[in-house]
Amino acid sequence: MLLQLNNIFKWVNSGGQRIFLLKDINLQVEEGEFISVMGPSGSGKSTLLNVIGMLDTFDEGEYHFLDESVHTLKEKHRANLYKEYIGFVFQSYHLLDELTVQENLEMPLLYKKYKGAERKAMVADMLDRFNIVGKKDLFPAQLSGGQQQLVGVARALIANPKLILADEPTGNLNSQQSEEIMELFKKLNQEDGVTIIQVTHSEKNAAYGSRIVNLLDGRKV
Amino acid sequence: MFKSYLKIAWRNLLKNKAHSSINIGGLALGFSVAMFIGLWIHDEKSFNTNFKNHEHIAQVLMNKTDNGETRTRYNHPYPLADELRRVYSDDFKYVAMSSFPGDNVLSFKEKNLNMHGAFMEKDVLRMFSFNMLKGSLDALNDSNAIVISASTAQTLFGNEDPLGQAMRLNNDAVVTVKGVFEELPNNANVFESLAAFSETKKLDFIAPWNLYVSMYDWVRTARDRKLWDNNSYLVFVEIYNQSAMQSINQKIEKVLYDNVSEATKRSEPQIFLHPMKDWHLKSSFKNGVSSGGAIQYVRMFGIIGVFVLLLACINFMNLSTARAQKRAKEVGVRKTVGSNKNQLIRQFLLESLVVTFCAFLLACALVVLLLPAFNQLADKQLVFPFAKPLFWSVGLGLILITSLLAGSYPALYLSSFRPVKVLKGTVRPGKSTVSFRKALVVVQFTVSIILVSGTIVVNQQIQHSKDRPTGYDKNNLIMVEKTTDEFEGKYNALRDALQKSEAVLEMAESSSPMTEVWHSNGGYEWEGKNPDFTTNIVSFYVSHDYGKTVDWEIKEGRDFRRDFASDSTAYVLNEAAIAYMGLENPIGKTIRWYDGEHQVIGVVKNLLTESPFEPVKPAIYSIDYNETNWINLKLTPEKNLAHSLEQIEVELAKFAPDVPIDYQFVDDAFGNKFKTEERMRKLSGIFSVLAILISCLGLFGLATFMAERRTKEIGIRKIMGASIPNLLKMLSKDFVLLILLSGLVAIPVAYYFMQQWLENYTYHIKIPWWVFGLAILCVLLVSLFTVSYQVVRAAIINPVNSLRTE
Ligand SMILES: Nc1ncnc2c1ncn2[C@@H]1O[C@H](COP(=O)(O)OP(=O)(O)O)[C@@H](O)[C@H]1O
Ligand SMILES: [Mg+2]
Repeated sequence: MLLQLNNIFKWVNSGGQRIFLLKDINLQVEEGEFISVMGPSGSGKSTLLNVIGMLDTFDEGEYHFLDESVHTLKEKHRANLYKEYIGFVFQSYHLLDELTVQENLEMPLLYKKYKGAERKAMVADMLDRFNIVGKKDLFPAQLSGGQQQLVGVARALIANPKLILADEPTGNLNSQQSEEIMELFKKLNQEDGVTIIQVTHSEKNAAYGSRIVNLLDGRKV
Repeated sequence: MFKSYLKIAWRNLLKNKAHSSINIGGLALGFSVAMFIGLWIHDEKSFNTNFKNHEHIAQVLMNKTDNGETRTRYNHPYPLADELRRVYSDDFKYVAMSSFPGDNVLSFKEKNLNMHGAFMEKDVLRMFSFNMLKGSLDALNDSNAIVISASTAQTLFGNEDPLGQAMRLNNDAVVTVKGVFEELPNNANVFESLAAFSETKKLDFIAPWNLYVSMYDWVRTARDRKLWDNNSYLVFVEIYNQSAMQSINQKIEKVLYDNVSEATKRSEPQIFLHPMKDWHLKSSFKNGVSSGGAIQYVRMFGIIGVFVLLLACINFMNLSTARAQKRAKEVGVRKTVGSNKNQLIRQFLLESLVVTFCAFLLACALVVLLLPAFNQLADKQLVFPFAKPLFWSVGLGLILITSLLAGSYPALYLSSFRPVKVLKGTVRPGKSTVSFRKALVVVQFTVSIILVSGTIVVNQQIQHSKDRPTGYDKNNLIMVEKTTDEFEGKYNALRDALQKSEAVLEMAESSSPMTEVWHSNGGYEWEGKNPDFTTNIVSFYVSHDYGKTVDWEIKEGRDFRRDFASDSTAYVLNEAAIAYMGLENPIGKTIRWYDGEHQVIGVVKNLLTESPFEPVKPAIYSIDYNETNWINLKLTPEKNLAHSLEQIEVELAKFAPDVPIDYQFVDDAFGNKFKTEERMRKLSGIFSVLAILISCLGLFGLATFMAERRTKEIGIRKIMGASIPNLLKMLSKDFVLLILLSGLVAIPVAYYFMQQWLENYTYHIKIPWWVFGLAILCVLLVSLFTVSYQVVRAAIINPVNSLRTE
């Protein structure tokens, strides 16, 4: 078992009223799964992903990740946990405009204790695996959306995470580019055993996964 | 159109309160500094200009060259004035002699007051256009007259009519008040050129020259025997034609030379006119040529003022450009609805004008509020020039120039945005604007670092000079000037009485006060002296107990002793004199002077009796009870000070009942020698703080902008695993680099200027390198503190929030 959510509640108070963003979520994810989270806009998909990614807190319930009880951990410890095991992919790529492809890939490694030579080797490996060696000195603005997302995925993978969290990774891409990214995910999942949780609106993309979680108004349905 | 611009400008001001207050506040600070400095400079430059004939008035000075070194003097022989009057009557409207100003005792009924005044020839009242409140400009014609200032009249006579009142002068002559003149304003002084030597005081009275002649034998002798070689008198002139100053100088150059003795001719005495406008600003001379004076401070603070104003302008430019992105959309919309570039430029310039105007008003308020504090600091009596059109027109010019200077770059930059790009949101500040902004920040911090290191250097120099060994003990030492001759011949009785009272450990008399040099002489001869060497040596006439009183340090030989009768003609020399005369084994050597032979009995360590910034001059100490002007008292340290002083007053009053006792602490008098430098230190300290403050205001704005611009990047980095310390380091690195770069630029500039300043002092420090390290560190810490709020806020923000907007 990779992670387990038990009776997770998350809410915000607004005008004396409690608005639930997540309501009684129970979810168990095994290593090697490929899960698609679906639901209408505003149903809490991103919120759920952020909770799983430990970027956001929740108000009630338990969260176990590997052997750790996330809900009891201190902020710093939590950060170390996701730094080590989780990679993030975003709808709008979130590459740094001022950095080249190569530098964008290297960036997460700077915050983990890798030596310069090690970092170089890991970046070179990624450039190779994703077939973007020729683009290594370009800036994000010089790439197409599909290429940018490719770099985004490569960046998420570079430190060998166990889990990839992807929030609408193909939301800004055309269908051909989408397909490429989905194929990549499938390959990573099947060949490298990376666990993937993705948010998507498309049935076709969801079908790449092994399981679908549906959300409505913060509830699993 | 204009109205709509104004409305938008006003709304923009209100909408961005933080931004506007930083902008207006920073600029207002800059303006206030500029105003203070402007007012100060104006006051310095207007020194003595309220004398109606100030452009025609000059003081006669003299250059004398001994052994290749030229010194400029103020004192002249008695016959010089008559000669100038007689031979050059076509050039001089008035020539007037004056005594050195000093404290004299005016006594009326039971009142005995120390008053500052001089004996002057009658034409001075017309020459200096004194405003006579009572009496006429002819008041000094009568040789038993006196004219007094309004405040002196008030002190002496209260509400009685002063005219015709008789009083005693120095317990000697009886004088009648024949006139009352209006007090001279603070920035006017007839004896301003002497400021370098002694403290300038307000003129309380003027006594007629003829009285001087009749009161003092030596003056009468000088007049009757036409002594061309005794220099004791000041000479002022008023010339007919202002532009003739130079040609007159050429004509009179040789007047002295042609009349003095052969011995004095060797010093090539040369006289020249020192115009009144230079008395204050260009009061010092080095090697016979003008070497500045207050003008140096005027220039230095002028430069500082311009720079501080520049800093404030830079803030303005920087912040406006940084905000460009926020305004970009407005520009895009305006352009698509048909506004052209020029209209936009006009709009932005107008906004800049509004901000500048607000800042100016705020600055005026600040200056009015802080002027009393500034006056105290600068030792001035400045008033806010509400009614001066000059001030307002300069102010208006300043507003226009500043708003143009500060607003032009942002205006051009903003108005050049391409609407399509702007509206699509793809405009990012180009590399060039970012580096332009960085360059501006570097300029700001360069100026700040220069000012800070300058302040440290000034401080070090003062400290260094204060720590300089004085060669005597100035603690518990007081001095009293003998203003009348009632003390004459009572030395031993007085000393016994004071010592018996136990308030005083030791007493001695001397010709000069401990902190000044009043006498110097030439004509010394000794064995082995080069016959071409013309001597000039400081003379101190002292009583036997001088050494013990001031606790001087004997290096060789011995102090004066009463039980050696021959000590009455013996000399004690200071080390400087030994070096100057080139004496080896000086004890027992003989020095010849006009009055005979003198034996050297002792050598003392140099006593620092003049400028703490100059080397000590060669000096001879000799016993002479008739030439002493000062009583020096070493107080008993264990005794209560107030009580001791009271006892001393009582004892002194027994000997001289009609003399007001004015004592001065030697360490205070010594401290006074640092007044200019202390003021300089305070002012430069304050300006440094202000410069840093202004720069930091700008930095704060820039950091805010940076934090805004980089939230997304920070969020991404955090998700990728950056810790808060990682981010703090990343965000501060830029600022640190900018400041280090500023340091590199600042060091040589600061070094150059401070070295220039230090050259004014013969005795000065070598600028230590740590000064610059310390200055950079100060600025660095303050600016890191400034940006820390924004940097920390940006670093701890939850990335989920900063990335949600997409
Ligand atoms: N911090 C918050 N405060 C208030 N409302 C929030 C907050 N975070 C998310 N929401 C709201 O919660 C709901 C779920 O948001 P989100 O998880 O982003 O939905 P989805 O990704 O499924 O479109 C939305 O209505 C959103 O506006
Ligand atoms: Mg979402």
